[in-house]
Amino acid sequence: MTPPDRPRARRSARGRFGEKAVLLALAAAATISVLVTVGIVVVLVEEGALFFTDVPITEFFTGTQWFPLEGKFGVLPLLNASIVIALIAAVVAVPLGLGSAIYLSEYAPERLRRVVKPILEILAGMPTIVLGFFALDAVTPALQMVFPGLGLYNALAAGIVVGLLITPLISSLSEDAMRAVPNSMREGAFGLGATRRVVSLRVVVPAALSGIVASIVLAISRAIGETMAVTLAAGTIPNLSWNPLEGMQTITAYIVQVSKGEATRGSLQYDSIFAVGLLLFVVTLVINIIAVRIVRKYRTVYQ
Amino acid sequence: MSTLETPAPPPQPPAAATVRPLAKKRARPSEQLFKWLVVGLTAITMAMLIWLLTSVLIRGAGSISWAFLTDKPSSNPAKAGFNSALRGSIVLMMVTIFFAWPIGVAAALYLEKFAAQSATLTERRLRERLATGRVTGLGATWARTRLWWLRIRPRVVHLVDVNISNLAAVPSIIYGLLGLAIFVGVLGISKSLLAGGLTLAVLILPIIIIAAREALRAVPMSIEQGAMALGATRWQAVRRQVFPAALPGILTGTILAMSRAIGETAPLIVVGGVVYSTAVPSLNPLDAGNEALLAMPLQIYFWTDQPQASFQAIAAAGIIVLLATLLVMNLAAIILRNRYSKRW
Repeated sequence: MTPPDRPRARRSARGRFGEKAVLLALAAAATISVLVTVGIVVVLVEEGALFFTDVPITEFFTGTQWFPLEGKFGVLPLLNASIVIALIAAVVAVPLGLGSAIYLSEYAPERLRRVVKPILEILAGMPTIVLGFFALDAVTPALQMVFPGLGLYNALAAGIVVGLLITPLISSLSEDAMRAVPNSMREGAFGLGATRRVVSLRVVVPAALSGIVASIVLAISRAIGETMAVTLAAGTIPNLSWNPLEGMQTITAYIVQVSKGEATRGSLQYDSIFAVGLLLFVVTLVINIIAVRIVRKYRTVYQ
Repeated sequence: MSTLETPAPPPQPPAAATVRPLAKKRARPSEQLFKWLVVGLTAITMAMLIWLLTSVLIRGAGSISWAFLTDKPSSNPAKAGFNSALRGSIVLMMVTIFFAWPIGVAAALYLEKFAAQSATLTERRLRERLATGRVTGLGATWARTRLWWLRIRPRVVHLVDVNISNLAAVPSIIYGLLGLAIFVGVLGISKSLLAGGLTLAVLILPIIIIAAREALRAVPMSIEQGAMALGATRWQAVRRQVFPAALPGILTGTILAMSRAIGETAPLIVVGGVVYSTAVPSLNPLDAGNEALLAMPLQIYFWTDQPQASFQAIAAAGIIVLLATLLVMNLAAIILRNRYSKRW
């Protein structure tokens, strides 16, 4: 089994150097994507560490007040606001997204589906600054009719527009999961006399559950990292509260607020945006890993 | 179990000879209710989108004019124009694409066409060479290193894969922090269009890699194998056959990645702050390092953040221009996909 390589080797020997250089250049490009991750982690940890030399980590995680100018660095109000708004967004987006997904996958005629799906996805591609403007200019005034005395900045309007942003994420991914359920399962259920509602809710949704749950988890991660809509709509005052009618500042809104002004490099405020950025990065990373785990662990593969 | 209980029809009296018509089943109220529920939820989502678009259009349409597109920014909302922001965004996109495209496509080529290929032949040749015992010292070490690399390569590639999909899910504001610390802090680039463009390039790099890999994967292996059977090396086959065939798909993905970048606000604020400048940026991308960081979404944010209602109107006008740009880019992507993509 010795390869008859003599005549071929001579010819390819000439082209070899160039090919190897090209291959090396391509591999270097692929390495850059790894360097980006390394860069993010190094930057956040290094600058964050500077912050934690001045502010004890226990105070950071247990303090209930965030007033950087007075040296009070308790991150709970910011974290709480990010969670409150993400939860409101989920309350808005889960019914809308799942309803649309069930409609598109189980009820809608194919031609209608091909029109509706891209229209829903326009929302996902909408720049978040537009959603922020929409919240301030239209959603909050509308809410003020329902809740008189509602302030211009409130978590509810922010949560609603972020919910709109993540709805297509849930509907798109869930619909893909539902369409991956083989037709034979639907036909079996129909054959036993099940109605379309029963087939949708008791056969298709359970079979696609891992994909549906993962889409919701991913959408929540996206909502926590969302910046411009919450900065504009929820305001810039740290506020540890569960009341969605109040204004509150999220982690991302704080980073924007500091960046807008001139925080000089090396100041405690400059370092603090990296510390909260590190927290944000870890939180979203953990949520994303959970989503991947859910898919891998509970996925049923149908051929 | 419960699946069986629900639809059970009540037993028919045997006297009635007529079979219960099937159509009646569909008319049950719970069925109708559920159908209208999912239709309603879909309709609400669409209605919200329509509400968003119409409220922006009504608010901003009055301020759209040729002068709005050609005027400089001003503290007087009646005179303020969008020209600097437009120019800033154009230069930003040029810088972004200049850095992100070659790196993204090269990474995709490597991951899809080289790293994933089996290396049984090379491995066997290396083993044979080591077995003869004629290679010693440095040569043997080099051969062993290559063998080791070939063995761990699949795992490394898998890690890079996971890494890229994770990067695509990192919040965009984190990229702003990266740009602030690396491009402005370490490399000492001023808070300019160049720093902003580089940051956006890093942001869309994973998106371009993922899109380009999908386009490359859609080209059937037989094209490449055919070229190699005729004597081409793998690189020649990829460069002359696979890459041109995948190009429309790659470009479509690139346009979509750019439409993500052009609407990004948060990373630009973190890198450059929100500057009020009446300067008009030059369209020459080589000057990007000296131009203040201005862009459409930044200008919109600046105006939206002002309390006066007249600024809200021009913010809406700015949004209309931004959305129109996005519409054109997406249409271009769709046309490109429909006209040039091949079905194999």
